[in-house]
Amino acid sequence: MARKMLIDGELGQTIEEEKQYDFDLFVIGAGSGGVRASRTSASFGAKVAICELPFHPISSEVIGGIGGTCVIRGCVPKKILVYGAQFRGEFEDCRNFGWELSDQVDFNWKKLLHNKTQEITRLNGIYKRLLSNAGVTMFEGEGKLIDAHLVEVTQADGTTKQYSAKHILIATGSRAQRVNIPGKELAITSDEALSLDELPKRAVILGGGYIAVEFASIWRGLGAEVDLFYRKELPLRGFDDEMRAVVAKNLEGRGIRLHPGTNLSELRNGEDGIRVLTDHGDEITADVVLFATGRLPNTKRLNLQAVGVEVDKTGAIKVDEYSRTTVPNIWAVGDVTNRMNLTPVALMEGTCFSKTVFGGQPTKPDYISIPCAVFCIPPLSVVGLSEQQALEQAKSDILVYTSSFNPMKNTISGRQEKTIMKLIVDSETDKVLGASMCGPDAPEIMQGLAVALKCGATKAQFDSTVGIHPSAAEEFVTMRSITRRVAAGAKP
Amino acid sequence: MAAAPSLRAPPLTLASTAAALRTFSRTLVLQPQKPLFTSSRALRSPPLPRFPSNLPRRRLATRASADGGNGAPDPRQFDFDLFTIGAGSGGVRASRFAATYGAKVAICELPFSTISSESAGGVGGTCVLRGCVPKKLLVYSSKYSHEFEESRGFGWTYEADPMHDWSTLIANKNAELQRLTGIYKNILQNSGVTLIEGRGKIVDPHTVDVDGKHYTARHILISVGGRPNLPDIPGIEHAIDSDAALDLPSKPEKIAIVGGGYIALEFAGIFNGLKSEVHVFIRQKKVLRGFDEEIRNFVSEQMSLRGIEFHTEETPQAILKSSDGLLSLRTNKETVDGFSHIMFATGRRPNTKNLGLEDVGVELAKNGAILVDEYSQTSVDSIWAVGDATDRLNLTPVALMEGGAFAKTVFGKEPTVPDYRAVPSAVFCQPPIGQVGLTEEQAIQEYGDVDIYTANFRPLKATLSGLPDRDFMKLIVCASTNKVLGVHMCGEDSPEIIQGIAIAVKAGLTKADFDSTVGIHPTSAEEFVTMRSPTRKIRKDPSPAMEKNVDEVRPDRNK
Repeated sequence: MARKMLIDGELGQTIEEEKQYDFDLFVIGAGSGGVRASRTSASFGAKVAICELPFHPISSEVIGGIGGTCVIRGCVPKKILVYGAQFRGEFEDCRNFGWELSDQVDFNWKKLLHNKTQEITRLNGIYKRLLSNAGVTMFEGEGKLIDAHLVEVTQADGTTKQYSAKHILIATGSRAQRVNIPGKELAITSDEALSLDELPKRAVILGGGYIAVEFASIWRGLGAEVDLFYRKELPLRGFDDEMRAVVAKNLEGRGIRLHPGTNLSELRNGEDGIRVLTDHGDEITADVVLFATGRLPNTKRLNLQAVGVEVDKTGAIKVDEYSRTTVPNIWAVGDVTNRMNLTPVALMEGTCFSKTVFGGQPTKPDYISIPCAVFCIPPLSVVGLSEQQALEQAKSDILVYTSSFNPMKNTISGRQEKTIMKLIVDSETDKVLGASMCGPDAPEIMQGLAVALKCGATKAQFDSTVGIHPSAAEEFVTMRSITRRVAAGAKP
Repeated sequence: MAAAPSLRAPPLTLASTAAALRTFSRTLVLQPQKPLFTSSRALRSPPLPRFPSNLPRRRLATRASADGGNGAPDPRQFDFDLFTIGAGSGGVRASRFAATYGAKVAICELPFSTISSESAGGVGGTCVLRGCVPKKLLVYSSKYSHEFEESRGFGWTYEADPMHDWSTLIANKNAELQRLTGIYKNILQNSGVTLIEGRGKIVDPHTVDVDGKHYTARHILISVGGRPNLPDIPGIEHAIDSDAALDLPSKPEKIAIVGGGYIALEFAGIFNGLKSEVHVFIRQKKVLRGFDEEIRNFVSEQMSLRGIEFHTEETPQAILKSSDGLLSLRTNKETVDGFSHIMFATGRRPNTKNLGLEDVGVELAKNGAILVDEYSQTSVDSIWAVGDATDRLNLTPVALMEGGAFAKTVFGKEPTVPDYRAVPSAVFCQPPIGQVGLTEEQAIQEYGDVDIYTANFRPLKATLSGLPDRDFMKLIVCASTNKVLGVHMCGEDSPEIIQGIAIAVKAGLTKADFDSTVGIHPTSAEEFVTMRSPTRKIRKDPSPAMEKNVDEVRPDRNK
């Protein structure tokens, strides 16, 4: 995919492109990446249109909504449910702080759901206003490519319209996938899980990724019995092994039953709920079975192949480092390219695209030291390399600093749950290569560390920073002794 | 420093020890405030360290070799290489570190009590026993009432309103303090430091008297901290200070808190959260003098919304006790009746009386603070002082830094000056404040041309809870160098959020560095890396062209 470096001002200057188009840019998909790219492009003076499917909390080939996954079926509603679920822990913790609660604090799922839907509907409206204020033309309907410069939008009533554009940006995101086992139609995905009519009393979750552990925490916090099944020994593959173990321990500590190394083999309708069969020969009954088994790019109905836009085996659109597809005037950002599937990354890619194409400033997204968070309870947040990644890339020894402590709040509440922090340092350069934390407020704490890591901060610079007392975060600037030194080339 | 046995990073298997050690190793202190209402100077991060100017700066090399504990020519034999008076944050840190450098160390401390006096204190000091730790525990407890309110918007319902039992909280808090003071003692013992209970007093530059017994030492370190200071007005005997407020036998029904500094605001939040009626009396127009002006405005608005009543520009003149036992506070403007408690949070003073300091020639400031040079050495060569007793920047982590630097300088053969630049701090009011670096006012004074980025928004949680909570965030950027000079936040989790930001500010990072960092979504903190347009540009020499830039859509793209 190597391409000639774009030269400032070169784009859009060829004679062939002097043709008249309806728009300078047509964007398919108004999620995080698409909206950002549209607005930014418009601010550079481009004439921009964007199309998006009609709004609904549960997505399909013909349903979506302005705001996209993050706002309607992802980060935002998820975080709202996590907030709701966290209160259970607070009710437990508050007693030793002197609070007397009635034995049963009741939870009304319909109220939370209503308030959540109201909030995402509000956000959907805000996104629409943002687009219209930016001068972006919005079309409701399903977009697909006709040729390299032509998009067809199918409206809800089935009528179609075609629009020509100098550049086309595909930002259609991704959707949750079900695993192919007998009875899979009995299971739901995260879309439905965010909008269930009834809160399950018994939930089974299949998957070890962040979506799986987040829903495990949500449902447990809201009062359900939760069984979490995953194939590996630990959840959260790709994260630091030590932190994965901590997350597993904390999930268990909060009452979630873990089934590592276990797959589901079949789902059947039973009298008392869904009968869930595992590959270990066990059977349990559940009200809800959630497949959190991965997401696939939404590329099937875009007519990409016909236009010459290449996709990989998973259906992800192949792009170069400027987000350009194999067709020079067609671009793609966000989850549909399956690079690093995070909202802020889609935003970055969208901005870089606009700068490159309309800002006369060729800009590559920078994927170094991107922080992220898993909003299980308590949450995990990381930036930079895991210990295992650091060892793979190491030229010199790696210094590992870890701290495991009882957060001050737990000294009174009596909750048995440690907060864990970890720094990975290059012994040669003293650079902090990675930081991770599992514990309350980890995502909020990690953001500032991410600024420091992004700019190559050293352990000495961490150490020279004075702590904020009493906080959990101060631990990151007071880790004085090395927990272990791992020789370069050592097997993780 | 790597050789120092660490309190940190215990292996996972030692979790319970880790827990103990961690809480133990946190320390901090209520900052001394200047007399009535004038304080919070201490909470700012001064652009430059403030050193007493009347002490000549001696060249350290000379001193370190002269009496650095390593082959000093003094022929006398001493009982100890170091005798520390006061086992709070600074004293314990200095003693432990000195011991790890091989020094023979003793430390003395008054007997344990939750209320400090001339004859009561306790190992752990203000931070652990009468400051940061108990304060934060009470903050945790009081925050729940807000969380209960929030939870309703998330679908939780209560048969009856949650009730709070004060005595459970105080009993559990005190059990924790007992545990911590015990851990502190163990830590000292494990470091080989001799702990002597009693009141230390300096007899001569190398001798300390503890309750009649004399100990000689090559070096003496004074780390006696500070204590609340109440003004002398009629009826003041009916008032309580922060020591007492942390250990009341019963919850105040209606409390007056006098003072606008961080201690006053923290207690206002605590009692308000525990459902006392809270009135705060401040002498100035605004709370938190020395803080960024926008933060000062924002926090009092938010606290008012949570039910705290502020009485501004009022100076207390007398406390009256009526026959029903209730208290009235008379100010220059009004008399407010019916208080069960009146608390003064009107400043703290160094504990330097009756220590024998004047007699041996240790110079003191007018307020009793021990004057020290940048190495924490007093006007007597063998006597040093760290922490609140010196009234520099009165924060636990700063006392730790000073104690560590002292030990390195005197026993580690590594002369070390504490670095007071970009020291972050927090106020645990509700909502809390976190800050690092300069205020807008300081930045303008020092750099002239600065760009201000602000965000004032309703956090996601508040959109569901329906409560009027907001977050305020602010970045102050040097217009010529692009360096981030100051960061301020008031809102949920501010202290936790600012710590990482403080590393970036301390490292001298630029606004461009912040912008190049990807956000963590959805968090409040991500706002700090996504502030694209300055709210205002402040120029010494405003030209019309520049004013126009302010509203430009993407001003960050072009300098």
